[in-house]
Amino acid sequence: MKESTRSVLVVTARTLVAAGCVAVVVTARTTVGWGRLAIMLAALAGLLAVLASYNRRFR
Amino acid sequence: MTTISAPPPGSTDRTSEPAPSAGRSRRGARVPARRRGDVGFVLACLLPALVLFAVFMVVPTVNVFRMSLYTWSGFSPDLRFVGLDNFTRLFDDEQFVRAFQNTVALLVVVTVVTMGMGLFLAAIMTRQRLRGRNLYRFVLYIPNVLSVVVIAAIFSAVFDQENGLLNGVLRLLSLDGLQQVWLGDQKLVLWSVAIAMVWQSLGYYMVLYMSSMASIPEELYEASALDGASAGRQFFTITLPLIWQNLRTTLTFFVMSAVNLSFVLVRAMTGGGPDGSSEVLLSYLYKQAYTNSSYGYGMAIGVVIFAFSFLVSLLVSRATRREPVQF
Repeated sequence: MKESTRSVLVVTARTLVAAGCVAVVVTARTTVGWGRLAIMLAALAGLLAVLASYNRRFR
Repeated sequence: MTTISAPPPGSTDRTSEPAPSAGRSRRGARVPARRRGDVGFVLACLLPALVLFAVFMVVPTVNVFRMSLYTWSGFSPDLRFVGLDNFTRLFDDEQFVRAFQNTVALLVVVTVVTMGMGLFLAAIMTRQRLRGRNLYRFVLYIPNVLSVVVIAAIFSAVFDQENGLLNGVLRLLSLDGLQQVWLGDQKLVLWSVAIAMVWQSLGYYMVLYMSSMASIPEELYEASALDGASAGRQFFTITLPLIWQNLRTTLTFFVMSAVNLSFVLVRAMTGGGPDGSSEVLLSYLYKQAYTNSSYGYGMAIGVVIFAFSFLVSLLVSRATRREPVQF
């Protein structure tokens, strides 16, 4: 796979995961419960993981 | 932003170091005494700040942890040790869970929206030679100068069901079906508060990002433009890496402001209602500690807030850590 294609795929995947995490946070809030809160915290952790994955090559 | 790096190992430049023999020969007896004097002076200067820090930060924080182990009404002299009972009560408290969910939702949504819009506007105002950009910057920064309570009053008026600006504009556009009870609908109320939070903080973060972007040398953009880089590519390969330290700082600010600012806005705009649907952690703490006379339980919520804020800030710091770029 070409480097540019791979780069585009990685960026797209990261964007989708980040958008998905935000969507999960918004939708999980509609119901109150520890399970839903755990899902929201997992989505928050997912966002931080995306940030860390983007930042990894600059370390 | 220029970063000065440490001299490489093995460097032969010793001009800043005192010669090993200098202290022993001409000024040998005076140097240690002077150093002791310097240390004393530094300690004397630090002491007032350390005392204030201990009295107003360390002692209250320790007290929050201590009081979370007691049950106390806040007024009576009866103080009863209950161990971890206040924390076990949290597990059965649905309102606490809802407040926690609302805080996490505000943290994520407000951070993503404010940071995205702030970066976008800062990039446009720095890179594009917009006419009247100083006016735009001024207008966007004004909300940050206003008191949060004033902002809450403004948005209460904007979201008013009968005479509010938002519903009025929708009526004017013949979009009556889209009119909502913005601060009275359990599904919408938190997002109405989120809009106020974004509006309040957007200008502040935009100005912070603009100040970082303005310090990036123009030659970098010229060189990349000669290589055929588009504006978007320049943003992601030049601007973003060079303002990264600023982004890190603001991310920590976002965590703190999502917890703190949401409390003031919720108290002033909705009071946590309707039916607790806009309650956030700090407003719930306040309600328990000062309205419900459950001070110990409120402090247990405070411990959870402390742990959550600390953990998220730590993770953000670890996730965004990188070597500063020199330019």
